[in-house]
Amino acid sequence: MRFRFCGDLDCPDWVLAEISTLAKISSVKLKLICGQVLKDLQGERIDYEKILKLTSDARFESGDVKATIAVLSFILSSAAKHSVDSDSLSSELQQLGLPKEHATGLCRSYEEKQSPLQDSLRTRSLRLNHLDSVSWRVDQTLSSSELQQVNEPLVHLKFTVRDGDRGVMEPFAMSMSAEKFRVLLAELRQAHAMMKTLS
Amino acid sequence: MLLVLSEERKEHLGFLTQVDSAVVGEFGRIAVEFLRKGTNPKIYEGAASKSKRRKLNVSSDVIQHGVEGLTYLLTEGSKLMISEIDFQDSVLVLGFSEELNKLLLQLYLDNRKEIRSILGELAPKLPSYHSLEWRLDVQLASRSLRQQIKPAVTIKLHLDQNGDQTTKILQTDPATLLHLIQQLEQALGEMKTNHCRRIVRNIK
Repeated sequence: MRFRFCGDLDCPDWVLAEISTLAKISSVKLKLICGQVLKDLQGERIDYEKILKLTSDARFESGDVKATIAVLSFILSSAAKHSVDSDSLSSELQQLGLPKEHATGLCRSYEEKQSPLQDSLRTRSLRLNHLDSVSWRVDQTLSSSELQQVNEPLVHLKFTVRDGDRGVMEPFAMSMSAEKFRVLLAELRQAHAMMKTLS
Repeated sequence: MLLVLSEERKEHLGFLTQVDSAVVGEFGRIAVEFLRKGTNPKIYEGAASKSKRRKLNVSSDVIQHGVEGLTYLLTEGSKLMISEIDFQDSVLVLGFSEELNKLLLQLYLDNRKEIRSILGELAPKLPSYHSLEWRLDVQLASRSLRQQIKPAVTIKLHLDQNGDQTTKILQTDPATLLHLIQQLEQALGEMKTNHCRRIVRNIK
């Protein structure tokens, strides 16, 4: 069976197995746990104690609690990844065997947080490095050992690049003459115009 | 298959005949603990001072050699997976008492499995797969050429070697990626051929 929230593929077996665990909690508590899991997916710290308290009624072992968090993380992040709307998600979850109130509660939490979740997933996408800042300085060369009267402007550029892997800032400096700088500026302006037509 | 012990080792282990079996049991326990967690020279000092109290008066060097001899017996025996009879015959060479031989045999049999699993972890390992991130980009224009369409897949492969994480960044066009997927699926399919099945059946 193909499911949209799994990217038009089969639902993984472990998700199917844990749907029945989800059904053991009441739908109100499930909605609260969803809220916690959504916070975790957006990069904030998850409050494990709260989740333990919410699942204590259903007398979950630690393995069951972890399974619940894992399956909710998968469903919510997968649905956001494939941009599934909350009605389709609700009907697909009901097809998998999740009771109606649980599915509606889950999808309502999902719908509220769908855009912020997708934004945070977008920022976490693979990027090799980021440009952090640019600083510049213009000098005037008066004379040199080769020629007594030089009188030419010189621009120094320093790019601070943040490495994707380690998060360290690496400076990258260069200096160029006025002509070269004019060429660079013209080309970058053309690239910028092209980016504007796309966005 | 018998364990061959050098003269020096026989001398070191000869010390064990001078002490009673409770002490030998204690040394055996220390040897196994060292195999699990690494050596701790302070234990030798403690044992030496304990022996002084019992009026045996042995230096920590002798105790160290004794424990190391026991460790050698246990690791070599577990490595080669020698049978009980072979172990008993190897130990007979040392001329220990019947009780001591039985003690050593029991020590070997009890800890053999654990020592084998520890020894298994010492083999060199290649970096193993940890996770994968990917990204699909399309190059629309460059400084030299406008109006292009060039798709490319950028992959960041996270590898794990003995706890160190390294990353490798790769880039490919979709055609090569499809070829790669096809080759990997073929490799997985090899497991289902008769040749592989026969070998796997025989190993099990």
